[in-house]
Amino acid sequence: MPVQLRVVAAIVCGLVALAESGTGAQRAAAPEGRDVQVLRPVPDITGSWQRLGFTVGLRATEKPNPAFLPPAASQPPLKPQYLQERQQRLQAIREADAKGQPLANHNTACIPDGMPAMMNAVFPMEILQSRGQVTIIAEAYTQVRRILMDRPQKAPGDVEPSFYGHSAGRWEGDTLVVDTIGIKETVRFQNTPHSAEMRIRERIRLVAADILWNEITIEDPVTLEKPWTFTYAYQRMPDYTLLEYICEDNREYADEQGRQQIRIEKPN
Amino acid sequence: MMLRPRTRLAGSLSLLLVAFALPALAHHSFAVFDHTRTLTLRGTVTRFQWTNPHGFIELDVTQSDGTVKHWSIETTSINMMQRLGWRSNMIKAGDKVKVVAAPLLNGDPAGLLLEVTLPDGKTMEPGVPAANTFARTPEQE
Repeated sequence: MPVQLRVVAAIVCGLVALAESGTGAQRAAAPEGRDVQVLRPVPDITGSWQRLGFTVGLRATEKPNPAFLPPAASQPPLKPQYLQERQQRLQAIREADAKGQPLANHNTACIPDGMPAMMNAVFPMEILQSRGQVTIIAEAYTQVRRILMDRPQKAPGDVEPSFYGHSAGRWEGDTLVVDTIGIKETVRFQNTPHSAEMRIRERIRLVAADILWNEITIEDPVTLEKPWTFTYAYQRMPDYTLLEYICEDNREYADEQGRQQIRIEKPN
Repeated sequence: MMLRPRTRLAGSLSLLLVAFALPALAHHSFAVFDHTRTLTLRGTVTRFQWTNPHGFIELDVTQSDGTVKHWSIETTSINMMQRLGWRSNMIKAGDKVKVVAAPLLNGDPAGLLLEVTLPDGKTMEPGVPAANTFARTPEQE
């Protein structure tokens, strides 16, 4: 084997090894007339992440570089009927809170947030890149979503409604593009109603070595006037291993009026 | 007592802030707790519940008339606490601790942990989101 060819073969083998070792790879167009498959490495986003500048329950970190803070979040562009439904719910929450009798919600019963709320990373999250799959684990409620890579998205009728839906992903250059369908209508993000036709599109990319942006666009022809886009920014946590989170003894409960209560040990 | 209206206003503002801030930050709303006053309790721990979604310090407090009143003091998630340096063995049954807590508005003997002083005098951060929105009441001697 000529030296040059041997070098090329070594590089290809190395990249394949990189792909198989969990770093991930994307297919590049095979050179014309050749039946070899050239694999290019993809960005390494494996590891623990926390919301940028979001330090609840974490030791104070350096102030985030404003250049990496995403655009301010926007309100959902709901159609009038659904906008009214959301506003009424938010008003009811405010009034109940003001009375000191907050309304119970899914969290009262330790039901996890589902998509897309889990991506707000209230607690840290972990991304794992493996062959054919990117897995995202949220520490809060030990939520797990699986992004199936380089496979066609299913037809909506073939996906049963669930908390995390069915996610199909692919690398477009340096951006991980994810399409998610099949979120249960009861799984609500920021009290926003949605239909079975909701589709969540994500564009996940490193904007700096240790800063990840996730631009999320929600489409729903039933409830939204137009797509709703917002971005979360995350900061790498090189030394952090996710902790377990089990709702082992949930002492919050909903009373008959749907209000959140706390079980106390010895009522006087 | 002259400060009462101002305290109320501060409390209402805090509630507003909390209402906006917390649904995204916490397992549950903190609106069940009184944001206008705190209790300082010195007592003996009967149990330190190290669980999610919240932990609890169960506390027996001897009152001025000699009777013992039991309090359930809720903490934040033990995950937040661990990130702040808490460990499950820091408090155990029999320990004498001092806690500052925001009491339940409904009068039940429970509260939200805002400060704790361990038997060795060490204080721990509670990890409660928006802990500074709770108006503190100085300890009654």
